[in-house]
Amino acid sequence: MENALAPESGKTVIRKARLASQALFLLLFLWLFLQTESKGADQLGYPVKFFLDADPLLVLTAILSSRSFLPSMLLAGAVALATVFMGRFFCGWVCPLGTLHNLTGSVVRKRRRTVPKGSFRLKYLLLVFLLASSAFTLQITGIFDPLSLLIRSLSLSVYPAFQYGVTSFLDALSRWPVPGLAPAADWLLDILHKGVLSLRQPLFNQGFLLGLLFLGILALNWVERRYWCRYLCPLGALLGILSRRSLLSRSVSEGCDSCGACVPGCEGGCFPQSPDKWRKAECYLCGNCDDACPKNVVSFGFGRNPAAQALDLGRRRVIAAAAAGVAAVPLLRIGPTRAGQADPRLIRPPGSLEEREFLRRCVKCGECMKVCITGGLQPALTEAAPEGIWSPVLVPRVGYCEYRCTLCGQVCPTGAIRSLKPAEKPDVKIGLAMIDPGRCLPWAHAVPCIVCEEVCPTPKKAVLLEEVVVKDRDGRPVTVKQPRVDLDRCIGCGICENRCPVLGKPAIYVLSVGESRSRENQLLL
Amino acid sequence: MNRREFLKTAAVTGATLALPGLLLPDGSAAAAEKLDMVVAKGPSPARITRAAVDAFGGMRRFVSRGDVVVIKPNIGWDRTPEYAATTNPEVVGTLVRLCFEAGAKKVKVFDHTVSSPRRAYKQSGIADAAAAAGADLSFVEDRKFREMKIQGETLKSWPLYTEVFEADKIINVPIAKVHGTSILTLGMKNWMGVMGGSRGRIHQRIDPCLVDMARTVRPTLVVLDAVRILVANGPTGGDLSDVRLMNTVAVSQDQVAVDAFGSTLFGLREDALGCVRLGHQAGLGNMRLARQKIRRIQA
Repeated sequence: MENALAPESGKTVIRKARLASQALFLLLFLWLFLQTESKGADQLGYPVKFFLDADPLLVLTAILSSRSFLPSMLLAGAVALATVFMGRFFCGWVCPLGTLHNLTGSVVRKRRRTVPKGSFRLKYLLLVFLLASSAFTLQITGIFDPLSLLIRSLSLSVYPAFQYGVTSFLDALSRWPVPGLAPAADWLLDILHKGVLSLRQPLFNQGFLLGLLFLGILALNWVERRYWCRYLCPLGALLGILSRRSLLSRSVSEGCDSCGACVPGCEGGCFPQSPDKWRKAECYLCGNCDDACPKNVVSFGFGRNPAAQALDLGRRRVIAAAAAGVAAVPLLRIGPTRAGQADPRLIRPPGSLEEREFLRRCVKCGECMKVCITGGLQPALTEAAPEGIWSPVLVPRVGYCEYRCTLCGQVCPTGAIRSLKPAEKPDVKIGLAMIDPGRCLPWAHAVPCIVCEEVCPTPKKAVLLEEVVVKDRDGRPVTVKQPRVDLDRCIGCGICENRCPVLGKPAIYVLSVGESRSRENQLLL
Repeated sequence: MNRREFLKTAAVTGATLALPGLLLPDGSAAAAEKLDMVVAKGPSPARITRAAVDAFGGMRRFVSRGDVVVIKPNIGWDRTPEYAATTNPEVVGTLVRLCFEAGAKKVKVFDHTVSSPRRAYKQSGIADAAAAAGADLSFVEDRKFREMKIQGETLKSWPLYTEVFEADKIINVPIAKVHGTSILTLGMKNWMGVMGGSRGRIHQRIDPCLVDMARTVRPTLVVLDAVRILVANGPTGGDLSDVRLMNTVAVSQDQVAVDAFGSTLFGLREDALGCVRLGHQAGLGNMRLARQKIRRIQA
């Protein structure tokens, strides 16, 4: 129907350029996402946090909440400045989540428009809420920020599910008793492993929940085209405010009779059919109205700056959102970890700042978890204070901290995890290993085992073995080597816990005690 | 495991067990003299490797035209070569070249690492060296492990890496290091790198398990890398003061003899290792070095 209303073909230049730009940026984003994986060298070699660094909302709130400047503010500032001059090109032409919404929305045929009229204000109120809370040092913007949300959802949920699906499908295929099928499946798997699939199957706690959330956000396109962008996205709100006086703008000449042909195609829901009520802050410069206009009165260009409708959010609503943002600060911080007692399971990545400082910076983007070479970094649920949900926690039983790896700090967009130099890494303790002599094979069961000592990576072993003669069930002497942890040498990397053959509950395990970033959480004098 | 898989596995295992006896002739025509081992010393790892293999009759004696060869170094850890935690990359690269010169169709290099494989392959220098020599370098994949029958005293079956058993020839290239339970990790211990499953459990009865593995995976050739050896804090290392420069490689077909020789590099008796004694008793090889014809060369 929309196409029937679009008369001439020459008009689709803007649309074509936009689609090309969207495709290009989505591919760039996905390519950087796939490069967020170790190739074995010390440096990752790709600017994988580029999109996060360019995100004005994340950078602004991180600066507010951490009370410090970030190197990324130049890039993010450039995007903000560009928005001031060129409007919300980011939403319409760049944002990879926006493009995914477009793709999802394009499969929807019919919508029942039941969205209340003033809903567009929601995102501005969310922005006010986030700005207020970050001004009071709470960093929860990353929960809602579209780029952080997208990277987190892809890393922890979509990509693991994709890999699981593809590999198990091809595996099943290669087991079929059809000649030629197994080599073909193997060949395809080898190809996919070269560029698309991760070396090891990534698996994350809460992957299901985060995936459901992400699908839910995409599914909102069934309610309204780009629902998330129009009503919820706080980055869109920030860019909307910045774009209100932009030089690059849409303009409508005299002939418009408000026929409404432009309405169905409008991405931002900016009320394009009415030159008076048009909401400039909601315009993504998508150009669809230009395409659709039967009278050809719409144009996009620089310098024309028609009077835009004021952004009326309502003073009471703004105050309420700000107050809620302030109230969220203590609310999300009340938990036992605030009493100075660190959660023993809260093992942070190496180079993490002191916990309070860490939480003020971590935007829960999931980059560190994506890049973690052993897959041990997992999203927190209850280990940290409520504000720390989805922040990275090392779960040694899932994956340990590789002794010489510093990738998590390299990809952290806000410096919550410092980028460690290779020479610094060995001195960073993230916890301490403890032995459970009631479960350890040589301690409790007269069975030889030295796995924890074998795998301990410190140059002088932090697991020491003491040869002891114990008796077996017949009273015969058995020589075993009992492990003991040298608390000075142990860095808490967790490879001992990861490889401990005592299943169920390992006989050696790491706690956050002794982490070098904390002054209180120490065991030794 | 379905029936088809079982038959395949049984066939592969049976063939592997039967093959070495056929493949290892006592007096090869290519060998100038009947040697049990060659030990080469010299400053260049590549040159001593080549010299040792040549003195042992040349690679053509072991690798035939069109063979698929698996070279199994120790790439267990994320360490650079100077720490002597992983096999010397020049030794590996030279062996790959020698195999190709002997007419090998394909040379595969892999190890089931303990550290994360990407770092271990890269940092050990083996990824670059093997690739430069034209080898097929691959990471070990879970799906390529198959539960296989082992005619062992202790191990009856274990998930083992199929590519090892599909190869025409296997060359074991361990590095000599100290180790917590087996005292040293040499050739037989290197077979842990083709084991899947929870292989850490074998430490409970390490020596019989290693002999069982050595019985199952019979190499065409063992090349012990003792260019640098790790004398303390092994098998991971990390401290250069624990590394001794020996500039040595030893080549033999006898897994027990190589490990016996390796022990002497650490100032231990030839029968110091439990797996060596057990292997000797089981007739897997000869640990009595004095009764063997060992040629020592400088290169």
